[in-house]
Amino acid sequence: MVFSADVTTISIIQVLFWFLAGIISFYFSIGNARIWTSISLGFFLIFISQAYLLAPWSDYPRLAAIHYIIGTVAIMVMTHGFQEYYVFSRTLETGGNKAPVYLGTLAVILASAVFVFINPEPTYNVLRNIRMIENANWVFLSLINIDMIRKIYLQIRDSVIARGFIAFGAVFVCILLWKGSELYLQVFCWDNDWHLFMQSISAYNNVDYPGRVNFSLLVHQAGGLLSGLSVGGTFIYLFRLLR
Amino acid sequence: MFLLPKGTPLYENIAAAKIKLPEMLDKLKSGGFTGYLNFLFPSSNGILFYEGGKLISALHEREKSRLSGFEAIAELCNQILSGGGSLSVYRLSKDLVMGLHALLHGEVLYKGQELKLIDIKGLLEKMKVCQLNGCLRIYTEDRSALIFYKEGAPLGFFHDGSNDIETSASESQKIAGLPGAKIDVLSTKSADELMLYDLLEMVNIGKIWESNKIRHAAQMEQLTREAQERDSKQQDEILRELEDDLKEVAVAYMGKVGRTLVDKELNEQGGRNALLDADKVAKFLAGVEKSSKLLTSLSKLKEMSDLMKNEILARVNG
Repeated sequence: MVFSADVTTISIIQVLFWFLAGIISFYFSIGNARIWTSISLGFFLIFISQAYLLAPWSDYPRLAAIHYIIGTVAIMVMTHGFQEYYVFSRTLETGGNKAPVYLGTLAVILASAVFVFINPEPTYNVLRNIRMIENANWVFLSLINIDMIRKIYLQIRDSVIARGFIAFGAVFVCILLWKGSELYLQVFCWDNDWHLFMQSISAYNNVDYPGRVNFSLLVHQAGGLLSGLSVGGTFIYLFRLLR
Repeated sequence: MFLLPKGTPLYENIAAAKIKLPEMLDKLKSGGFTGYLNFLFPSSNGILFYEGGKLISALHEREKSRLSGFEAIAELCNQILSGGGSLSVYRLSKDLVMGLHALLHGEVLYKGQELKLIDIKGLLEKMKVCQLNGCLRIYTEDRSALIFYKEGAPLGFFHDGSNDIETSASESQKIAGLPGAKIDVLSTKSADELMLYDLLEMVNIGKIWESNKIRHAAQMEQLTREAQERDSKQQDEILRELEDDLKEVAVAYMGKVGRTLVDKELNEQGGRNALLDADKVAKFLAGVEKSSKLLTSLSKLKEMSDLMKNEILARVNG
């Protein structure tokens, strides 16, 4: 398996954007209230999940699996963060501290890594399955987050930070397009991983709808770029709003 | 107000609220005091006559109402306990006490008789013959004079503006000579007969004093309670307005969620009364700041916090 061969300029730019977004969001979580921790940590984990594209040992299947799992954990942690903010917007309770969020996330990632290492090395097909699960999670949890952000916005719409949540809404629309388009390709076996898998077993793989595939690939790439950009921009915007 | 001769002052203008009436009356009794106690209250006055340590009469007067005996003593107790009055004690001779007793409690033989229609010589002769004990009051609309008699013989003269009994009849004669002058003749029992009465024996002053004290304490308690309730109501009103203002400030900086935040933080500190306690105010503001950090900018938060602090200080201390 040669994952590094798939690395395109767009992918590198995308990872770079996620790196910046990850740094900004992580920094944001340090200087702010606990409620922001899950949200910003989730966005930071997206960078980790995307970083496999650049890692020199990324052709190691177990590591690739862990990256995908971290991607799944990222959206779950983020959803947890937005749920907390929603509860805050309804109850105005701000209790708790950050340590359990960091430690809990770390524990889930470590447990996932243990799970990956105690099981047989993932094949192309297994890795693709893990990635599909990740994408499915992203799609459904993004929809849930968009609804939650709408509810939060309605609750705090005349506060300073309300526009920041509109920006988060835009972020999740980009993420939905990014992950949704990839899930679409995977569901119909039009994705590159499926193509590689079919090649590895010397099977014939004909794509009947090249237009849809190309459009989905375009949406996937644009969505990925815009997601990274919008996350970085949103956190900078939040910095300015809360300054 | 009774204008009476002062005799020998023992005490003058001492605060009535400071005295314990039963104890004072007992002291005067044991000292065989003869004279009178003159109480002056803001809207009434009272006189207690003593003769040889016996309380021979008590009088309380308020505008047109007059109380005597038990009722007068009870009202005196009430007035003393209410505070604000003064007491003067004057020592007098037995005969003068008798004369004053006649003036205040005596039987009215003649009232409002015009002097020019009266045979004054004949009247004085009659008083002498009858060995009258009492008092003759000569007065016009704006002046008056008293002539005290014992067994028909004049003891002395007293008129407006003088402090004591005089031996000269000139002022009394002057008033008698004024147009429209009138005369009252009042008689009373002899000094010895008056001594047969002792209100101290007939009335349990200690008990009257105590019951008045209890009643007065209850009234004071009631007044205090009412005042406290009134204060509490006023304070509650101020705090309610302050709470509304704090909510308005929060809404201006955080939107409608600010109102809920102020509500929540105040409830956590035990309600709006917490705004009277500096520690709780600090906790309340800290709570508001903590949540506000998630809703507004730091500069606005500081502005809002200062505004709330000043508002609380101004209302609570003002």
